[in-house]
Amino acid sequence: MNSASSLDCLIEISEKISIQNTSDTIKIDCSNDENNPIIDIEIEKSKINNRIYLVCNENHDIKATINIQIHDNATLVFVDETNYGRTTDITMNTAMRPNAEFELYRFNKFNVSTKNSFVHNCDLQSNCIFRDFNFSNGSKEMSNITKISLNEKNSKYIGSGVVIADSTNCKNQLDISHMSQSAISDCSFKTVSRGKSNVTFKGKVFVDNDCSDTVSSQISKGLVMSDESKINLTPILEINNDDVVCSHGAASGKPDDTVLFYLASRGIEKRDAEKLYMQGFLSEFLNKIENVQMQSKARDYINQNC
Amino acid sequence: MLEIKNLNVSVEDKQIIKNLNLKIGPGEVHAIMGPNGSGKSTIAHTLAGKPNYLVESGNVEFKNKDLIAKDPYERSLLGLFLAFQYPIELPGVTNASYLKQILNAHRKSRGENPIDAGEFLKILKEKSKNLNIPMDMHSRFVNAGFSGGEKKKNEVLQMDLLDPSLIIMDETDSGLDVDALKSTSEAVNKLRDGKRSFLIITHYLRLLEYIEPDHVHVFSDGSIIESGDKSLASRIDNEGYEVK
Repeated sequence: MNSASSLDCLIEISEKISIQNTSDTIKIDCSNDENNPIIDIEIEKSKINNRIYLVCNENHDIKATINIQIHDNATLVFVDETNYGRTTDITMNTAMRPNAEFELYRFNKFNVSTKNSFVHNCDLQSNCIFRDFNFSNGSKEMSNITKISLNEKNSKYIGSGVVIADSTNCKNQLDISHMSQSAISDCSFKTVSRGKSNVTFKGKVFVDNDCSDTVSSQISKGLVMSDESKINLTPILEINNDDVVCSHGAASGKPDDTVLFYLASRGIEKRDAEKLYMQGFLSEFLNKIENVQMQSKARDYINQNC
Repeated sequence: MLEIKNLNVSVEDKQIIKNLNLKIGPGEVHAIMGPNGSGKSTIAHTLAGKPNYLVESGNVEFKNKDLIAKDPYERSLLGLFLAFQYPIELPGVTNASYLKQILNAHRKSRGENPIDAGEFLKILKEKSKNLNIPMDMHSRFVNAGFSGGEKKKNEVLQMDLLDPSLIIMDETDSGLDVDALKSTSEAVNKLRDGKRSFLIITHYLRLLEYIEPDHVHVFSDGSIIESGDKSLASRIDNEGYEVK
């Protein structure tokens, strides 16, 4: 079940693609090519936020390319709350014109025995803001690749990824390219790895040589909850300009026994103490989600899946 | 309430507690004083069940039950509360959510339903007011960024909320200024009801001037070497631990 209202635009992908509730400011064309369905979305400036919900049939393999163009001063909130039961292969290409704002929320659960791939290429022009939040449990073979290009000045990317793996694998890659001056990127990645999970995160920040006044922050943290699970966090910085403020940090480890003892000393059983610990760990960056409804969804996702 | 018999405890293969005997009756306030490294905090953590604190021999009965055989959370549910010297931070979890969760853990063990949100807020407001704790502290993450005084008040708030039978205070006075010490002690004194027992661990007399003990024990090298009334604490304060 998704939380779309009757005013929100719905894109349903099943055997065929169907669209509901387009408006003057949301234009959608799609080709129902069986092998590679393509959905072209154009967003114009609107008095209220344009919202699109993606609803995929969990009993079908999903393959789709979604091209999004957000015009000058336009805004788009795109939400995907699908529980994917089968193989998925989704590519998203987004072009943001000056002053556009884009919020992408993915709250997904995947079948642990499937192969899933999501690739997103997003280009930002001047004064654009892209807020990108992804919550996932991984699958047998999960690949999640996001490539951000901050092409013009004052463009901004805020991203946060959360993976709650339970005997699943999840390969995450985030490439942020600062291609113009005065652009900002702020990304965080947090994962809990349980059972026989294997979670990797490779976060690369590239700053071109004429990109003065760049601000970039990247932090990745992992919590290893079992002896058989693995986490590999790799931050990569390639900075070709001196006038930048760039920071990065990566840390992973097991839960702090002192904290678990503190919780036990208050009457909380080990299993519940670990759950509370994981919830706290994963919730640390939720305040980055300014959208109150989506922040609440994110909290629910964490609480339900820990 | 609590009876410790011939207790020997080691931590990482080093014996810390040596043949300890101590009996605390209902409503009694006992204080343990001793120099650094004498093993005072080890008693507190052993009673609370800290992992890696190995009870080599001896036994501890709490409410006529074998305390050592129980898991740490079971000891809490049985009515034992340890106020930590350094309360632990829990980023990402708001204090209100945490307090509600620990209260519900105790309610569950008594066969009660989880507390209603409105009722919890009412209780939290009332108890926070008694401790001069502003309500906005509860929307912050547990102990994260709290001052020393706020952390200790939060420990006392938890004592009040969980209504334990035995409260162990592990150097609660450390890190508190005079005003915070006074207000924290006043809050603890309000919990003295003639039935609830206390074991207060401290270096100094000053805490015991506010929370008056019935019995004072001097601890050295893992054992109680002397016991007496409150005057013993004053003597220690004047003469130090070296002179007996």
